[in-house]
Amino acid sequence: MDAMTENSIRQEQIESFGRLMAGFSHDMKNHLGIIRESNGLMGDIVAMNVLGEDETTIERLKKTIASIERRVCIAAIMLQHLSGLAHRSDTPCSSFLVNDLLTEECTFLERFARLKQVKQVVEPGEDLPSVYNDPSLLQHIIYRVYLLCLEQLKPNQSLVIITGRNGKNVTITFRLNGGSQGNLEEVSFNNLLPAIEKLEGTLKQGGENHNDITLTIPSLSVAEK
Amino acid sequence: MTKIKLLIVDDEIEFAETLAERMELRGIATQTANNGKEALEMVHSSPPDLVILDLKMPDMSGLEVLQSIKSMHPSIEVIMLTGHGSTASGIEGMEKGAFDYIMKPVDLNDLLEKLKLANEKRSKA
Repeated sequence: MDAMTENSIRQEQIESFGRLMAGFSHDMKNHLGIIRESNGLMGDIVAMNVLGEDETTIERLKKTIASIERRVCIAAIMLQHLSGLAHRSDTPCSSFLVNDLLTEECTFLERFARLKQVKQVVEPGEDLPSVYNDPSLLQHIIYRVYLLCLEQLKPNQSLVIITGRNGKNVTITFRLNGGSQGNLEEVSFNNLLPAIEKLEGTLKQGGENHNDITLTIPSLSVAEK
Repeated sequence: MTKIKLLIVDDEIEFAETLAERMELRGIATQTANNGKEALEMVHSSPPDLVILDLKMPDMSGLEVLQSIKSMHPSIEVIMLTGHGSTASGIEGMEKGAFDYIMKPVDLNDLLEKLKLANEKRSKA
């Protein structure tokens, strides 16, 4: 099998997986919709006190109903981001905002940081131009760089992700421990280089801050491509 | 909002019925339909003031139902219900005549506010 056919199959796989995930998140939202309405109806009934329960029981019921509502809202936001994340692979190339893509992905990356007791902070830059590129490939690179960064960090340290603009390019900077740790090891990105090259981007350590790892991608329009 | 006649159209029967019950508790006369065809029959036989319409249904898409409702009764205001991650489908509904859209799972206060505004618009027309 030649490389082009192999790439094409791989691309189709990514698209299929994305569509399956998007369908899943859509169905889950329907389930959450029913849970939320049923819980809301219970809340209505409790508020009317048609059951004639005592104050303590009513308070317990209200607390439980509020807890379900909170969790449904959190799950709904996660599913919304999952849906967005999944739809990114609908087409090989599209025009998108890096901040949107990052917000979606960081919803799920945060778990890895939490398990390592590292604090994740996202600082999205304002008025960034849209990017015409391969969004699922960018998701993949962000995921890998994020994990490489976590490997460098210890519990109670932080990983700050900052987006910005550098001329016609958009930058995503991973600032380890908020930039306060002086002697960060040199991180090897060699296995990511072909993917970064495909995005026509660069990945560099250092710069403004030694603890920065910066991914730069061009903000070309469809016409410029 | 005591005199509003509302129709909820969603193929998720449990969702439509539970939401309808909550609307009834708030004094809104609510009926449900579980597919596009049933919804259009109900709109034809007993036109509601407002419709909450799911975007994705098996028989007809919400956008098709929206266009049929609007061609039969332009004064009926429709709020689209979308489960999609992006707001694009909701905006597309508004371009085709929907008053507004709301994402699933529904925030009831948000929905009630949109219904109130939709009813005000309908009353002024």
